[in-house]
Amino acid sequence: MKSDFSHILDTIPPSGIRKFFDLVIGAKDVISLGVGEPDFRTPWAIREDAIFSLEQGKTSYTSNSGLLECREAIVDYLAQRFDAHYDPTTEILLTFGVSEAVDIVLRSILNPGDEVIVPEPSYVCYTPLVQLAGGKVIPLDTTSTQFIPDPDQIARAITPKTKAIILCSPSNPTGRTIPKDTLIQIGKLAQAHDFWIITDEVYAELTYDGPFQSVAALPNLKPSTILLNGFSKAFAMTGWRLGYVCGPPELIARATKIHQYSALCAPITAQYAAIEAVKNCAKDVQAMRDSYKGRRNLFVKRLNEIGLPTALPEGAFYCFPNIRHTGLSSEEFALRLLKEQRVAVVPGYVFGLGGEGHIRCCYATGLEELKEALTRIKKFMKSLQ
Amino acid sequence: MNPIDAQVLALVTANARMSSDDIADQLQISVAQVEILLKSLETQGVIVQYTTVVDEKKLPQRSGKIKALIEVSVRPEKRTGFEAIAKKIAQFNNVVDHYLVSGGYDFLVIVEGDSLEEISSFVSDKLASIDNVRSTATHFIMKKYKEKGILIGQPPKEERLAVSP
Repeated sequence: MKSDFSHILDTIPPSGIRKFFDLVIGAKDVISLGVGEPDFRTPWAIREDAIFSLEQGKTSYTSNSGLLECREAIVDYLAQRFDAHYDPTTEILLTFGVSEAVDIVLRSILNPGDEVIVPEPSYVCYTPLVQLAGGKVIPLDTTSTQFIPDPDQIARAITPKTKAIILCSPSNPTGRTIPKDTLIQIGKLAQAHDFWIITDEVYAELTYDGPFQSVAALPNLKPSTILLNGFSKAFAMTGWRLGYVCGPPELIARATKIHQYSALCAPITAQYAAIEAVKNCAKDVQAMRDSYKGRRNLFVKRLNEIGLPTALPEGAFYCFPNIRHTGLSSEEFALRLLKEQRVAVVPGYVFGLGGEGHIRCCYATGLEELKEALTRIKKFMKSLQ
Repeated sequence: MNPIDAQVLALVTANARMSSDDIADQLQISVAQVEILLKSLETQGVIVQYTTVVDEKKLPQRSGKIKALIEVSVRPEKRTGFEAIAKKIAQFNNVVDHYLVSGGYDFLVIVEGDSLEEISSFVSDKLASIDNVRSTATHFIMKKYKEKGILIGQPPKEERLAVSP
């Protein structure tokens, strides 16, 4: 009996990223473009407030939803920054990063056989978490629309069982941002067919060519929207594990029920840190955004110059070069680049449909390392000719 | 100042050795444009000098400079106020920074020398002896934690996971 593990779990393959991580970990003198996190430390003002909370002895559990003071600070920030309006008492729940938020939201809304549309390539956790929640993923390949979800394609995928669509904009892994018009069209479909839009906006602050459009701020869409966001990317707080979900009270109440049994509450120190982050750190965020933007411009331009066609991504800190013309699969490309030139990238296939033929490069690394990585990639490309 | 000028200035302020090529690509402008901009900022005197932040602790013993911060109280002069005295003080090679400040004294003068003796004799022979300098208070700098916005002696950044989702 003990050898009979969860059947659903056993059908889910381990993350392709994990496999690659194990290969990189043993290698020496590697420049990694494979990370998924900022290269900044958390701004000192935030760390200092966390330390102060510890000195004050703030080490207990908080309410399941999180400290009211923190929830209030976050909804004020969302209102001011993105024009998304939520009630701090009934419409927000603090979670262990956006990862937990995705999990409990899916478990709150799905029944066996319910379908969730996932435009791909996409972040790696959506599909397994839908499956674990008993749902069925309907993946859509967005290659033909340059990785922007296509409302017509979505319309064709809708069935009576469609329960939700998961959007991630700016996107991990492509860095693409979904234009407002497209969001409005997807919103109309969600209203007409009565399904949820789960919008992962964790990279919202890292949008470089204009203001960010939150789904929750679009007219009439709030009742259909489940907004996910967190502190990891915008405030360089990956290790703090703090995210949040905002949505209608009936959804938040259900997500809170799971959260209270499986997590109890988000870490209190991170919650105190978060209050300082949303209240007083806009300048730090701006400085980090400017720095990423400069690196994006330089890195993407030079990738194109050395023969890797790469669209300029509007946000996040990833770009998604096309490697199809090399004749290598994304896995072969990544493995050989690691072995022959000691540059780590993530093969595109791990991100689902449309990912093959691409690699994900994260440019949140020092300018000198980026330039050295470009030199090495250039050598690698030459060796393929 | 227009935004591009400000961005070029921000990049060279953070790293004076950044190549025009790298500046151009980060700001999506041409190399020629960067060079014209820098030249013009230099000619206008906006960019006065490109300098380097040094951690003297890392230098071989005794080759590092000794620094002191001196509070100087003066008697302003008729017509020229603080200006004439300031000009006299600022000209000395030992003086690396010189500010007029509000508060309990008038000038904050930062001086540099090869030894304690050099600085002491500078203060007594040159600075305190200037007409209308009423008093000085010298603070030798014992340890440098931050200079020009840069933390000195910062531990290396912790390793991130090499590959993560």
